[in-house]
Amino acid sequence: MRQKSRFRPLRIGDIFIIIFFLFFVVFLPKNQGEKVIISVDKTNNFVYPLNQDKEIIVNGKLGEAKVVIRDGRVRIQNSPCPLKSCEKKGWISKKGDFIICVPNRVVIKITGKEYDAITE
Amino acid sequence: MQSLNKIAYISVFTAASISIFVIESLFPTPIPGIRLGLANIFILLALIFFGLKEALLIGILKSIVGSLILARLLTPSFIFSISGTVLSTFIMWLVIHTRLPFSLLGISMIGAEANVIIQLIIAVSIFLPGVSFFRIAPIYVLSSIITGSITGTSTYLIYLKINRRYKLCVD
Repeated sequence: MRQKSRFRPLRIGDIFIIIFFLFFVVFLPKNQGEKVIISVDKTNNFVYPLNQDKEIIVNGKLGEAKVVIRDGRVRIQNSPCPLKSCEKKGWISKKGDFIICVPNRVVIKITGKEYDAITE
Repeated sequence: MQSLNKIAYISVFTAASISIFVIESLFPTPIPGIRLGLANIFILLALIFFGLKEALLIGILKSIVGSLILARLLTPSFIFSISGTVLSTFIMWLVIHTRLPFSLLGISMIGAEANVIIQLIIAVSIFLPGVSFFRIAPIYVLSSIITGSITGTSTYLIYLKINRRYKLCVD
């Protein structure tokens, strides 16, 4: 009987732990990205700030791709690749997001303040 | 007699958790890695009735034999499974042992969170470098609150049945 009362549902700690993890989910640090890294064939890394509007022509393996930075977001506007899946990915803005165009060998990646070990 | 009883219970718990683990892994889920975690029921029951050693035994056996059956021994999914199981068993044992005011619902929820968070840390640091932890964490934490409460409630129901019918000695 002692054990039964100890494990009965909904003691005070349960409510506390539910509230704690819901707060964790809601108030998680929002990762607005800061920099855009554009690389072609893993070699040329161009870094642009995300808060300046800009249109960039990237020379990929197939041809010229047009990358647009606007309102803190990035997208590939025109790409010479056959399936255009990189264009369909649309705008990205969060840290850790990326657009990869495999036929054209273009990788666009957003990083925050600190760099990962991998991108360095 | 007592020790025979205990061995029988441990083996039944192990068999049940392995079969639940295998069946559960066969269902497709919308997001990779999200499962109900019903195999945790038997680890939690072993923690309550026996102790840390027996629960760890059940958890490790569950991961190894379950992965063997599903042909994913020593793959990333096996590493996720065994590390999550061991860590969550240890944390649930700590919560039970220190007599904090948690019911089975809360204990199981803490176990589920520990499981998910250690798996995410391993995934981000070893298998998916470059993916931001905080980007993928919310959906997994939220889902493990729900699955942890489901598991905890079913553990409580099974615990009541076993306790009433078999008068299994506690402590």
